[in-house]
Amino acid sequence: MSTPPRAVQSGRAAVAVALRVLGVTALVGVAATVWLGLFVTPPDEFMGNLVRLLYVHPPMAWVAFLAYGVASLASLLYLWPRTRAERFDRLAGASAEVGVVFTGLTLVSGSIWGRPTWGAWWVWDPLLTTTALLFVLYLGYLALRRVPGELHVRARRSAIAALIAFIDVPIVYLSVEWWRSLHQAPTVLNPTTQKTYVHGSMAWTLLLGFVSFTLVYIWLTAHRYRLAELQDLEDTEGLDVALAERRAEAVAG
Amino acid sequence: MNGYVEAGYVVVLGTLGTYGVTLVARERSARRRVGAGSNKARNAAGAGTSARAGTSVPQGDASAREHRAVEEEGPGSAPRAMSP
Repeated sequence: MSTPPRAVQSGRAAVAVALRVLGVTALVGVAATVWLGLFVTPPDEFMGNLVRLLYVHPPMAWVAFLAYGVASLASLLYLWPRTRAERFDRLAGASAEVGVVFTGLTLVSGSIWGRPTWGAWWVWDPLLTTTALLFVLYLGYLALRRVPGELHVRARRSAIAALIAFIDVPIVYLSVEWWRSLHQAPTVLNPTTQKTYVHGSMAWTLLLGFVSFTLVYIWLTAHRYRLAELQDLEDTEGLDVALAERRAEAVAG
Repeated sequence: MNGYVEAGYVVVLGTLGTYGVTLVARERSARRRVGAGSNKARNAAGAGTSARAGTSVPQGDASAREHRAVEEEGPGSAPRAMSP
């Protein structure tokens, strides 16, 4: 049975309002993170003011991992015959695209921090290298999504590619443990020592950064999803117009 | 402060802001195109109907109804299930 139009309309209006509230909350959260990070928190004992970059750099990496996790889950749901639906393919594509943006920002913000700290914009460190590989893998995934083909075939091959690319995510996370790395080990919660090395206002600001950029991710993914939905509708509509015109020509002729 | 810190914040916030604004603009533009397309589909279906002097064109009407609903209500949460 189809959903009554009024219920659908009110549901969509509620989603639109929720997205607006989410957008404003995310914006306020990011503004607060920037204010606390730049003007309120103290400089670090060793890094000085450069520590302020770390209120945005780890949240970027976290959001990238989250985005790829969501893309992989959506891809799995698409591949599973009982849950196969176009919306999961769209969600995977939307989440992966936002993930690529955040991975790019992780690399750039890390590079800007690395130049004064390590004396180089880039080093072939295991963490940096595997992160760059992750960026390239998901760029390839996005390119694969654009390869023309029948809708279901395209969606299936994209889902498989997303799952293969996700293998690199745990490798990135554990690379600082597995190999000798120039990059510091996890400081928020070290899996080996189970200790936290960030305290006070620094810890709260970092936590706020994680929450705020996660909200930004949800907002961006929701908008990217809606755009994909409209693009699909546009493609269907083009076909409808062509069919209707042909029918009109046939009738008139 | 520190030039590197400021550069880092500008790059991060500038990129996210630009990406977000671009997404919203593309979404609005796509919605307008979908609306215009649905009118075109209705007109094409209507031309077929008038040429047949009163006979209906069910396919065009159904399609136009669907597109009109999207145009009026915005992009939907009701997904179209794919056949396996």
